[in-house]
Amino acid sequence: MRIASTQYQATMVNALQNANARLSNVMEQMASGQRILLPSDDPVATLRLSRLNREEAALNQYRDNIGALSTRLTQNETALGGMVQDMLGARDLLLWAGNGGNTPADLSAMAGSLSALRDSLLYSSNQRDQEGHYLFSGTATDTATVSYNGTAPVGTRYTFTGNTGSQQVVVGEGVTQSANSTLSGMAQLLNWLDSAVATLQTPGVDVSNPATRLQLTTALNGLDSTLSDVNGQIAALGGARNILDTLDTNHSHVSVSNQQAMLALSQLDYGEAATRLSGFTTAVQATQKAYAKVSSLSLFDIL
Amino acid sequence: MSMINNALSGTMAAQAALNLTSQNVANVMTPGYTRQGILLTSASSSRTGALAAGDGVNTPSLFRFSDDYKSQQMWNAASNQGQYSVVQPYQTQLEQVMGDDGSTLNTGLDAFFSALNAASVEPSSSPLRQQVISAADALAQRFNSLNQVLSAQRASVQQQRGTLVDQVNSLSAEIAKLNDRISGASATGTSTSSLVDERDNKIDSLAALVGVSVVNQPDGSRSVSLRNGEPLVAGSLAAQMSVQTSASGVQSLAVKFASQTFNVANTHAGGQLGGLGDFETRVLTPLTQSISDMASQISSQVNAQLAAGFTQAGTAGSALFVYNASSVSGMLQITPGVQPKDLGFSSSATLPGDSGNLLKVIDLKNQAISVTSLGSVLMGDAYTQLVSRLGTESQQNQASLTVANTVRTYAQSNWQSTSGVNKDEEAINLVQYQQMYQANMKVISVANQLFDSTLALLP
Repeated sequence: MRIASTQYQATMVNALQNANARLSNVMEQMASGQRILLPSDDPVATLRLSRLNREEAALNQYRDNIGALSTRLTQNETALGGMVQDMLGARDLLLWAGNGGNTPADLSAMAGSLSALRDSLLYSSNQRDQEGHYLFSGTATDTATVSYNGTAPVGTRYTFTGNTGSQQVVVGEGVTQSANSTLSGMAQLLNWLDSAVATLQTPGVDVSNPATRLQLTTALNGLDSTLSDVNGQIAALGGARNILDTLDTNHSHVSVSNQQAMLALSQLDYGEAATRLSGFTTAVQATQKAYAKVSSLSLFDIL
Repeated sequence: MSMINNALSGTMAAQAALNLTSQNVANVMTPGYTRQGILLTSASSSRTGALAAGDGVNTPSLFRFSDDYKSQQMWNAASNQGQYSVVQPYQTQLEQVMGDDGSTLNTGLDAFFSALNAASVEPSSSPLRQQVISAADALAQRFNSLNQVLSAQRASVQQQRGTLVDQVNSLSAEIAKLNDRISGASATGTSTSSLVDERDNKIDSLAALVGVSVVNQPDGSRSVSLRNGEPLVAGSLAAQMSVQTSASGVQSLAVKFASQTFNVANTHAGGQLGGLGDFETRVLTPLTQSISDMASQISSQVNAQLAAGFTQAGTAGSALFVYNASSVSGMLQITPGVQPKDLGFSSSATLPGDSGNLLKVIDLKNQAISVTSLGSVLMGDAYTQLVSRLGTESQQNQASLTVANTVRTYAQSNWQSTSGVNKDEEAINLVQYQQMYQANMKVISVANQLFDSTLALLP
């Protein structure tokens, strides 16, 4: 093939441009540590990376939720634990009152302590968070858990105005965990305690009277059943936290494997990049030398 | 005295050849210069007789080392190169904007659904609800800024098209003028080589702008038409190309030749004009539509689900997003004045702490939306697929561009191989024609001596 004189130049310019484009690409890769600079460098890997990123974002949110939920569960547990203490105190008092050796004055003093515990239980049942939402009202968070009506006859003054609905928190893809405990039996217990207090405060009360004993026994039985219900809830909270811990561990394992996959897909292999870099550099140097040799050849020089 | 005359024709021929060589050497670096050669023929004898050797050398004409097939190849390659190279900057910009992980719609969507997920921990918490509104606002802003980038690209494509059409018109006019001068000059026998080179350079530039087919006419002119046959240049007449913009903002091309107007398809036109048309119809417009589909469907699905739930006050949930197809910078916005308590997270009017409807809103991420060019895809995956598709388009274009560049380089070197000047060749010609000149001069000198010898015989 006949070669025109300008052909050497054109070849040289082309070779240098190509080499420069490749050099700049490999240098950008090395500077960023990323194998993929633009989606077109590897559309399939970009797709997979993007999906892994989405999953990572969701996992991080689930783990955040688990953290926030654990705090909420602990808060519930503490409040319920306080109530258990109050109920145990009330139980002791009722047992003592049922003992035949107490004078009416003793019983009246016991009634005082019992009513303090009753009020404390009411207060604890109606606990609210910082924004004023009731903790134990189920999903009716704007309504008090137990409402008190002082004008009603004794034994019906307390009513349960919350509900037993559960607030579901998302803790995994399609996995929810109940965030609240409900106190549906508390109002009934408070009514019984209220009746017991009223009876014990009656002047000249006699605990050996069958009607009085029945009231005390009813209150005591109610106390036991509510106590076991609340204890059951505390146990459930512990169980929920165990489940959350397991979920969190699972999430963290998936997250680690996602991150490893992302690194494998996106990270530059520096060894391979360095080999390419030196290959391109050698090619440029060789082309330059060849051009210098070829362009120095001219018949005009020796005419 | 035929010997002197023969030698004279030889020196004249050598001079013409040396002159030609100097022209070739002078233009060694001129782009598009076609090297010329001299045609030498031996002149037959005007005398009769067995010993009449001939009347020296004839130099009837110069000729061009050119091969029309190679020129056509080069122009075709220029069209393909133009078609793919004009698109790449646009595609790379889109990839940079849409592929950057920090600024994508995906990040916005993730943040929005994260805020919803976080709200499920305490569905009645007003700061958590506020966070949902802020994340929705940020998501809307991401949609709008991407939409603005796409709209700016469209404006830039249309502007570039206008400029290209102006260039096509001026090149066509110049080619027509050169056609006129060439046919005039060849009628009078003047050398047209440099005019032909200039015209071919113009055709080469024109071919990069739009795909053309070129036909040679007997009078030395070249007719240029578009790929589908619409004429651009015929003899000394040039057509006028124009851009028409429809009411909806879609541009098309028209060519007016003499009194006739032809509508030209914007796509498959070849060259930069065709590349722009292909990019606009195949990538930019569907992508813009897809983004706007995503915005519209996210807006309607989230609003519909929220409306199915109840606010803290127990009324039906209010709309969170407002979608406006006609606005570029405000395509997606959040409902003005929307309050945290207005979000319908509860599944019952009387249960403000319920999160039943919120869970349904969260699940929208895994529900299908219908997006132009993708069909039915999950809301959370739509953008990922769009970016992947864009990457594939760009990758294909880059591959086509690499091929087009290689073909163009090959076509150019192929053309150079026939028409380009080689200095060494010219140096040899220079030496040979110089020797030819000197030899002929020697012949004249010998003839002169012969004549002198003859004269010396006379007393």
